[in-house]
Amino acid sequence: MAIATHAGAPLTRTKSSQAKRRDFLAWIALHAVAIAMAIGFLAPLVFVLLTAFMTDQQALTKDLWPQTWQWQNFGAVFEKAPLLRYFGQSLTYSVLSTVGMLISSVPIAYGLARLKWKGRTWAFYLVIVAMMLPPQVIAVPMYVLWAKAGLTGTLWPLIIPNFFGDAFSIFLIRQFLISIPQSYIDAARIDGASELGILWRIVIPMAKPGLAAAALFMFLRTWNDYFGPLLYTGESPANWTLSVGLASFRSVHQVQWNLTMAATVLVMLPVIILFFFAQKSFIEGIKLSGVK
Amino acid sequence: MTTTIEVPTATQVHRATQAGIAHKKKARASRALVLPALVFSVILTQVPFLVTIYFSLLNWNQLRPSEIKFAWFKNYAVVFTGPDFLPSLFATVVITGSSVILSLLLGLFFAVLLDRKFVGRGLARTLMITPFLVMPAAAALIWKWSLLDVNVGMVNWALHLVGLSAIAWNTDLPVVTIIMMLTWQYTPFMMLILLAGLQSQSREVLEAASVDGAGPWRTFQWMTLPHLRQYIEIATLLGSIMLLQAFDPIAIMTKGTGGTKTLSYLLYERAFIGLDVGQAAAFGVVTVAVTIGVATIALRTLFKVFINGGER
Repeated sequence: MAIATHAGAPLTRTKSSQAKRRDFLAWIALHAVAIAMAIGFLAPLVFVLLTAFMTDQQALTKDLWPQTWQWQNFGAVFEKAPLLRYFGQSLTYSVLSTVGMLISSVPIAYGLARLKWKGRTWAFYLVIVAMMLPPQVIAVPMYVLWAKAGLTGTLWPLIIPNFFGDAFSIFLIRQFLISIPQSYIDAARIDGASELGILWRIVIPMAKPGLAAAALFMFLRTWNDYFGPLLYTGESPANWTLSVGLASFRSVHQVQWNLTMAATVLVMLPVIILFFFAQKSFIEGIKLSGVK
Repeated sequence: MTTTIEVPTATQVHRATQAGIAHKKKARASRALVLPALVFSVILTQVPFLVTIYFSLLNWNQLRPSEIKFAWFKNYAVVFTGPDFLPSLFATVVITGSSVILSLLLGLFFAVLLDRKFVGRGLARTLMITPFLVMPAAAALIWKWSLLDVNVGMVNWALHLVGLSAIAWNTDLPVVTIIMMLTWQYTPFMMLILLAGLQSQSREVLEAASVDGAGPWRTFQWMTLPHLRQYIEIATLLGSIMLLQAFDPIAIMTKGTGGTKTLSYLLYERAFIGLDVGQAAAFGVVTVAVTIGVATIALRTLFKVFINGGER
């Protein structure tokens, strides 16, 4: 044993140390490339953040680093525009839309994924078609309809449709529900549960990550929506959301880049925080819904 | 899972069939209650589309609101014979196609990196996702001014550092500009979906492959890629749908100049600047048809290229 080790050791050691060095160099090369790409990828955001701290004059120069850190920029933003009210409007729009989407789209998705009926495939195709409609296409027809209902100028034309099912969410949730094993549903049926009972007690608890993913998507989509709120509330500033407020901020305050960037950071912050805490269940959600 | 197999007795079988019949009847009854609501809901999602189709058959210009009348397929004739449709279709295919492919490749790269375990992974993931969380309108402005401006833009500054001359991105290379910005914005989305796919891959199979002497590249090519197929499909489908609808960057950065007038921008222009509701609606219906076509073709052909004509 001892002799064998003695004889074999030097050879193996040189070999493995060479291999180790090669591995180490490869490791460095890979990480250098990865980090460089990640930095390049995130540079625009870093730039936004740094500009948000600059003085008005410095923001117009090529400087990358703030000479002095202007923390008061973030306070100034609140003085220049009623950000809190915009925030409230955005929150109303996003939260109500998300709730409405969950109430309406989950049963529809369940019907498309789990109930067998004639025309199911066609109904699913129709949902996909609805998903592919560019918002600009339906903007005019829908605006005409909502104007007749006297609701233009408010956010309701954007919120109410979500209570009647949102095609994109129906699609996501259906993909997820398909991956739930049929045996659970059959077992509940044999036990005499109604379809709604099955949905409420079996399917929804199992589908939580998928629903979380769909809800997060909905929240993000409505929070960042600029076209919709601009179309319906453009003329009534009292109902503006953050996105519309941010855009007007630029024009009213003659491109004060530092303040614009500070406002951008403030608008982004809630979704970033939300995402940081939700990312695990979000990925979990797509993980299952991606199947099939 | 039990390993013993229970042989059911005759009575048990009989009871089971009876229960089965009863449950089928009951299921049919409860389905009968649910179905109308379901069909109704699906129809509701179609309201915007149906209204759009109806409007596309009207002769309706906002400048002459008194002259709304039924025009059959006149608007479609304008769409297909007019000078705008083909260039716009070309711009849409180029911009959507390149952005989808580039963001998919970059997304795959980042997903593979973020799939490894390391300290601060949660933070790194959140950071890499931020471009997708930024308001598209704000992101477009950041790109237009802070990054790509001829004089004070960061990209030209970086080019200058390596000794290259400045490029007027927004005016000289509008298509490249839009593709760059859309790729930046949608890479995190692709990454998220592919990351979910990577996480659902069984570690044991990968370890077995590595024990059998397969290198990392071959493992990736022959095991991970085929496993990711479904995820790549869904990322491509959702990505192309969202990218086909991309509007804010074009409206803010190029206003449809220099070959960036995609279908979604063109129909916005028709509806809100030209105020021709009927024609805009007709463009919309055609856009939906194109979207379905592109999504179908993209999904079929992509995989032949992607997975070396692998199984299926």
